[in-house]
Amino acid sequence: MSLSEPVVAALQDVRFDYPGQTVLAELDLELIRGECFGLLGPNGAGKSTLIKLLCGRLQPASGQILVNGQNPKLSAAARRSMGLVPQQVALYRHLSVLENLIAFAQLSGCRRSAARSAAKQTIRRCGLTSVAQRPVHELSGGWQRRANIACGVVHAPSLLVLDEPTVGVDLPARLEIEHLLAEMASNGMTILLISHDLDQVERLADRVGFLVRGAIEPIGSPAELLKRFFSGRFEWRVMLDQAPEAGVQQLLTDLGLEADPAAGPMHWLGAVHSDQQASQRMRKLEHVAVKEWRVRQPGLDALWRALFDQPGPGMNQPDVSGSSA
Amino acid sequence: MILTVLRIMWLGLWRDRGALVLAFLFPPLLFVVFAEVFSGSTGEGLALNIALADQSQSGFSRQLIDSIETIDGFELSVLDLQGGLPAADDQLSDLVRRGAADAAIWVRAELSSDIDSDAPIVVIGDSSKALALAVVQGRLQGLLQQEFPALNVARAVTLVDILAGPYSPEQQQLLDEVLAEMEAEAATGEAMPEPVNSLIEPRMLQGATGVDDDGGISYYAGAVAILFLLFSAMQGAISLIDERSSGIVDRLLAGPGGAGVVVFGKGLFLNLQGLVQVSLIFALAWWVYGIDWFGKFDLWLVTAVLASANAAWLAMLTASLCATRQQAQTAAAFLVLILSAIGGSMMPRFLMPGWLRELGWLTPNAWAIEAWQGIFWRGQSWSELWLAWLVLGLTALLAMWLSLVLSTRYARA
Repeated sequence: MSLSEPVVAALQDVRFDYPGQTVLAELDLELIRGECFGLLGPNGAGKSTLIKLLCGRLQPASGQILVNGQNPKLSAAARRSMGLVPQQVALYRHLSVLENLIAFAQLSGCRRSAARSAAKQTIRRCGLTSVAQRPVHELSGGWQRRANIACGVVHAPSLLVLDEPTVGVDLPARLEIEHLLAEMASNGMTILLISHDLDQVERLADRVGFLVRGAIEPIGSPAELLKRFFSGRFEWRVMLDQAPEAGVQQLLTDLGLEADPAAGPMHWLGAVHSDQQASQRMRKLEHVAVKEWRVRQPGLDALWRALFDQPGPGMNQPDVSGSSA
Repeated sequence: MILTVLRIMWLGLWRDRGALVLAFLFPPLLFVVFAEVFSGSTGEGLALNIALADQSQSGFSRQLIDSIETIDGFELSVLDLQGGLPAADDQLSDLVRRGAADAAIWVRAELSSDIDSDAPIVVIGDSSKALALAVVQGRLQGLLQQEFPALNVARAVTLVDILAGPYSPEQQQLLDEVLAEMEAEAATGEAMPEPVNSLIEPRMLQGATGVDDDGGISYYAGAVAILFLLFSAMQGAISLIDERSSGIVDRLLAGPGGAGVVVFGKGLFLNLQGLVQVSLIFALAWWVYGIDWFGKFDLWLVTAVLASANAAWLAMLTASLCATRQQAQTAAAFLVLILSAIGGSMMPRFLMPGWLRELGWLTPNAWAIEAWQGIFWRGQSWSELWLAWLVLGLTALLAMWLSLVLSTRYARA
């Protein structure tokens, strides 16, 4: 993917309000051909609204939305060039996988013969050959998710919108689906991936954007964003044997650690510039019952916590030591 | 644990306010409507449209008509007989055959003691509403016994006079005194007269299509057809709610067709499904009961298409209005039962109280049944069926339009 590729979808200065609430304000986003863009944000941030705007279901209060140069609200061709994979397994459960694919291809505007041929091709491409004739309700969750995605791409859209495509799927099936999506993107399909699986977004997305207070900011590749936000700092995690008493808590705080509320009172998080700095600080905890400690590159989860003011990580706090040990 | 399950179920219902209202408001409402509908079958609340013609134009016949007007449950329309018009019995028969009157009373001659003459009163009924004729005849007999008891005795006396020879002057005087006394007792409500069958002639009309008596098949084929059209269309339309919650509708709304395709496609399927269902019912009515299905196929087809379209789009509208499957199921059951009860699918409408009978015209059942019965029993043609078709067609179009509007609103939600 290169930024010199043509723009497949563009949202310019988009504003959308529900009664008494502004959901999106001055939102700008361009999706480039062949890129996988990860859209992140907490529940209620406006991700579903953004999908509906992009699909032409909603009209923005102001601003412009173009899909392949046309307004999806007005142009059936623009909508035909998109595929949506909803969060639920949105398939006809009594139909076979092949029948579902033919049906959704036709509902996307393909003629019957073309739909049949496209369905068979998609079945091969998505590795669904072994279950093509089986009714959807007989399939495992992983196969259903795979078929769900296949129905979104059977009409060969240039833009695929995926809303939590692997929720509830086990690790092997998830990795297979990720592989499939990466292959689609490498073949030129633009993917808008909405997921709360931050590791998955980090693995798949060329660029990510955080939907914060109605706008997508920051935007960039995961590596760029992590570098921009954490400027070479590492995440330092300390796990105690038991919940610390007041004196120990003060000591941990003095070392720049904060309790991680998501993990419980025995988990403390901080930021360091190197393993050595962490080791040096750990010496000050010799008299504290530490079960385990580790230093790792911060991921999108750390960035998430920083952006959405989740207490505990310390990654968006100034480094207490100010320098490496 | 069982209590926990109970609590969960209750909270589910309590928080789905629509379903809650439907679950607890509809049953008593349904009871009230059914009580009203079926109260007519006991005869208490019956309201029959009766056409009446007085060809006798005597003082006695006018007195009789005044008395008939006091009968509870008779809504009387007295024909204005004028020269040049068809005979009174033809006019009355036509009204009954067209369904404009449930039965007719023809006072054709002076009420006399001449037993050789025909019965002076003729009650005309349609064999598709045989019960109406029986009710009118019974009520009229009761009236004659109560109000005119001497009349029957006088006819019996005449019979004795013929068979046993003339009465002596003393006997005749005594007889006149007894008859006068009976009149006086009748006026004070003390009379205990004998039956007066010989005064009333029941006349049952047969179908205009050449069928003598189809045993009500032309009525019940239509009644059952529209009932099942509504029932199955409602069940089919509920799939719209399932597809909303499964995300299928979201997926389709994002496609080139949009909301209209989803709703219109479903409605069209239900329409076609209904057409097949109605075909099966009438095919059976033709095969087993000999209804003239092929002879009237064109008229039947128009009615069948419009009736199934009506059921399909009412069902789609119901599903579009409901947010959850639970709401839709309760609302659908309520609607089908109410429409079918008031509209005559469960019991002929002429047996219902008058106001309910009028209310029945607001249901597709009444119009569909009227149209099919008109075709197969009364032998009606295009020119007489257009109103029923117009009502069924316009209602279907209105429901379709509302369903499409609601689906567009859902797409924007």
